[in-house]
This record gives sequence, C-alpha cells and structure tokens, in this order.
Amino acid sequence: MNQADVSKLVSQLRIKVNPRLRRFSNPNGPAGRLDKLRKTVTGLIKHERIELNYPRADEARMYAERLISDAIRYGDCHRTTMEMADFWIIEKQLIHKLFKVLVPRFQDCNTSYTRLYKVPSPYPIIYKREDCYRKAVLELRGNPYPSLLPDKQYNKNIIHNILLEEAKKEYRMQKYAEVVANTEEKGKCQTDSPDEKLETSSDISSKPESNKDEHTT
Amino acid sequence: MIYKRFLVLLKNTNYSRVTKRNITFTEESERQSNLFRLEKVRQKESVGRIEKIEVQYAGPPNETTLIMNKNISTPYDCAKHLGEMLVNRSAVALVNGETLWHMHRPLVDSCKLELLHYKMAQPSLVNKAFWRTCSFLLGAVAVNSFKDQVKVCLHSFPSPNVRSGSFVYDVQLSLKDWKPEKNELKTLSIEFIKFCQQNHQIECLEVSEDYAQLIFKNNPHKSKQIPDIAANNNGKVPLFKAGLHVDISRGPMITNTNHLGRITVTNVIKLETDIPGDPIYRFQGVALPHSIILNHFAYGLIEERARKLNTGRIPAINQDLSIDYGSFVKPQVVV
Repeated sequence: MNQADVSKLVSQLRIKVNPRLRRFSNPNGPAGRLDKLRKTVTGLIKHERIELNYPRADEARMYAERLISDAIRYGDCHRTTMEMADFWIIEKQLIHKLFKVLVPRFQDCNTSYTRLYKVPSPYPIIYKREDCYRKAVLELRGNPYPSLLPDKQYNKNIIHNILLEEAKKEYRMQKYAEVVANTEEKGKCQTDSPDEKLETSSDISSKPESNKDEHTT
Repeated sequence: MIYKRFLVLLKNTNYSRVTKRNITFTEESERQSNLFRLEKVRQKESVGRIEKIEVQYAGPPNETTLIMNKNISTPYDCAKHLGEMLVNRSAVALVNGETLWHMHRPLVDSCKLELLHYKMAQPSLVNKAFWRTCSFLLGAVAVNSFKDQVKVCLHSFPSPNVRSGSFVYDVQLSLKDWKPEKNELKTLSIEFIKFCQQNHQIECLEVSEDYAQLIFKNNPHKSKQIPDIAANNNGKVPLFKAGLHVDISRGPMITNTNHLGRITVTNVIKLETDIPGDPIYRFQGVALPHSIILNHFAYGLIEERARKLNTGRIPAINQDLSIDYGSFVKPQVVV
C-alpha cells in the first residue's frame, strides 16, 4: 500500500502527545476550549514562563510545540503557518517574536522547545482527581530567568565538601599505614619462609586501588 | 542614668549574698547577659546626634545605595531593606571588600557592602565564621547541660579550622575521669539542637577591660585571659551573646543560631594540661549550615572522623592568646 509517511506531513514533536485530548467543559463548547488554550499559548510566548494548573499546561504545551516547530519548518512566508500563528497568538505583535526571536533560538535545538515542571500545590491540597488541582510551570527553553532547578554544580570550597575531602584523605592515609604494617609483618615472616614473597607484592599493588573505589562511591 | 539603673539592678539582685551561696549556672548566665544588655543599651544611647551614611550594596538582586544611620544601622538592617532572601541567607558581611563584619554590628562609616553566604564560589571566610560560631555555641551547651553538682568552667577554644574535621571547646569540669557514653553524647547533641532552634540572634559588643572583668569575675580562666586580649585589641574586649550565654571571641560570627542545620556533639576527651584544679575536657562536634543538605551516609563519615581527638592548640598556663583573640576583625585576603 502506498501510504504517506506521517512524519513528513507533520513535524514530529519531541514531547509526549496525549492520545486523547482533554475536553475542558465549557459553555461555548470546543470553541471555548480553544479560546482558553489560545490565551495560554499567547501567555507562554509573551512571558516565556507561566504558572498554571497542570492539565491546561500539559494541553497548551502540545499546541505551542506544534506552532514553533511549524514556524521553524516552513518560515514566515508560508501561508498556512502564518494563519496558524494568527489563530494561536492573540496579541499580534508576538507573531514577530515567534518568527524573529524564537525561530532563530530553536533552529538547532534537538530537544523539546518547552519544559513542563510539576510544582507544589497550594495548601490545602484537594485530592479529587489525579492531576486536577495540581500546579505546573510551563516555560520556553533558553528564557532569561534563573533556573528553577537547584544548582548541582560541584564546588569544592563549600563546607561539607571540605569536610568530606579531609575525611577521605585521612581514610587513605590510614589504609596506606595498614598496608605498610602488613608488608612489614610479612617481611619478618619472609625470613622464615621465602616462598611468600610473591603474595605480598601482589597485595601491595591491589590494596590502595580498592580503597579508592570504596571511598568515591 | 544607665549607670544608676545598673546600680539599682545590683542592689535588687544582691550579688554579695549570692556569691556566698553557690550560684547555679543559669543565675550566672543571667547576670552576665544582664550586664551585656545594659552595656549595649548604654552604648546605643551614647551615640547622640544621628548622622547619615551611604552604604553601597553590591550583589543580587541589583546594586543599590542605601542611606543608613551611623553607628546604629547594621548590615542586617541593610539586608532587611533589600529582601527576605538576603536576610535569611546572609551569614557575614564584607565591608569595603576587605573587612569581615558581623551582621549585627553597627556600621561606623560610609562603605561598600557585600553580604556573604554559605554557597558562594569562595566561601572560606564564611566557613570560618560558621565554625567559630559553632565553637561558641558548644560552650553555651556545655554550660547549660550539666547537673548542678558538676562545676563547669569554660576555658577557651582554638582558632577555627574546618579542615581539622571538628569544632572544639575546652571546658574545665569537676569530674575525675569522665568518658561520655553514647547516650550522654546524644543528650548533648539534642541540647545543642534545642538551643539552636530557639532562633537566638547572635549579638556582639566591644566593652572595656574593667567591664569585661566584671562580667567574667566568676570565671578564673577568662579573667586571666582578658588583660592579654585587651592589650591586643586597643584596650577593648569583643564579646558575643546568644540567648543568655556571653563569651569572648574575636569574631565575626554568623547571624542567628537558626543557620545551623545538622549538629552532632561527637566526643568529649580529657586533655593532658598543666592547668591546676579540675581536669580540662575537650568538647568536639560537627555541624552543617541549614542550607546544605547532605545524605546520612556522607554525614556519618564526617561524624566518625570528628570523634578522634582534634589536634588544635591545647590550653596551657602561659599561653599567647593573640592567635584567636587578637583584633576584632582582621582583613583576610581571599585567594
């Protein structure tokens, strides 16, 4: 069968796409739902980081990803893409931002263009449904704000790293001293039985190595 | 006026009779902290006409210039203008890029100000201040945790050295050969934690030699050290106070006791010294700032190391104390 390759018709998104869309019950029906999502997508492009309820963030993320990937794929001279941008972006000056700022930023990006974090819910937490009432932060990658994730860079000067480093040094010195004491003991035995010479030498070479491994883990 | 109030206080509490009785240590700490408080109020009132100074703050969130009060405003007050994050995390201040300044010590002139914290790229000065504060607080714990029949007399603590693996306080106890059990150490640790959870601000004050002698008149070791310290510090003795506990230290220290996170008193070891009277014990411990989270295994390694005898300066009769009790703040070059 001659079937078109789907990935060539629609650009493949680098996020999980839900098999079934959320309905977001609304008095205006599906159009009202899209209105809500348009507001979120516009907000995301405008502010680059927004905090909102998890279901809506997850839903809006898919549309934002699709919009950016189309903008990268077809550029600003493609009619359909322009219409889509016009539909999804309520504040029209942001269409310029999409093509002139976001497209150059994400051109060589090989991961998703957005990030979605689950954040703590406000107190009191209501466990009604699974991710209803949960909060999330949706952001564009490469935004100018400080990172939300803790800084996990290693800094050897922070107090606990100094203490651990010194503890490590002391442990090693202790082990070396033990090895030396062992070899001296065996050296004494050696005068009685010269056959043990080989064993001791292999012992020395293997022990310090194993100490290192133990301590770094 | 303050002096009069002070006399009234002396009359009311009737110290002459109290000294004949055996004073308990809470009473002694109360007396010391009262004297500290009175002197602090006197110094504050003697400022007189309020003058303004310009403090140029450099650091996050942005560079600003604050107009503060001379001899009244502290770096902590500046932090309060700048935001809660700085109030909570700042441990010590750096004035004009070279002098370490206690957060609760009034600024004396227009200056450039930086606020240091535990997770900086180069936190060695902060670590030292933290370690010194831990030693100081360990002294407070040692004074408060023993039963009344044990006589506790603080001696001193060596210059803080984080690399040695533990902070130290040398204390004279009226116990012959005490080797603490595990439970006793645990109790000391818990007392330490409880003390720190009371969120005491660590206050500082410089007093004259005579006044320091008055505060420490019941502590023979401290009264012997005071002339030496005063001679090295223009006749002034730098004091610090947390809760009711008052002690001499070169400083600077961190802002508040709630900066301490994990705390353990790891060991108490009897020292061989030539100091007459009861034996001197070395109290040792480890602690980490509240902002640093470490898994229990790694912390266990640090704890295990801190049980060994710390080789810091061991107290002796004729000792040059200028090493740790010299000038109040000495410029230290960051490498």
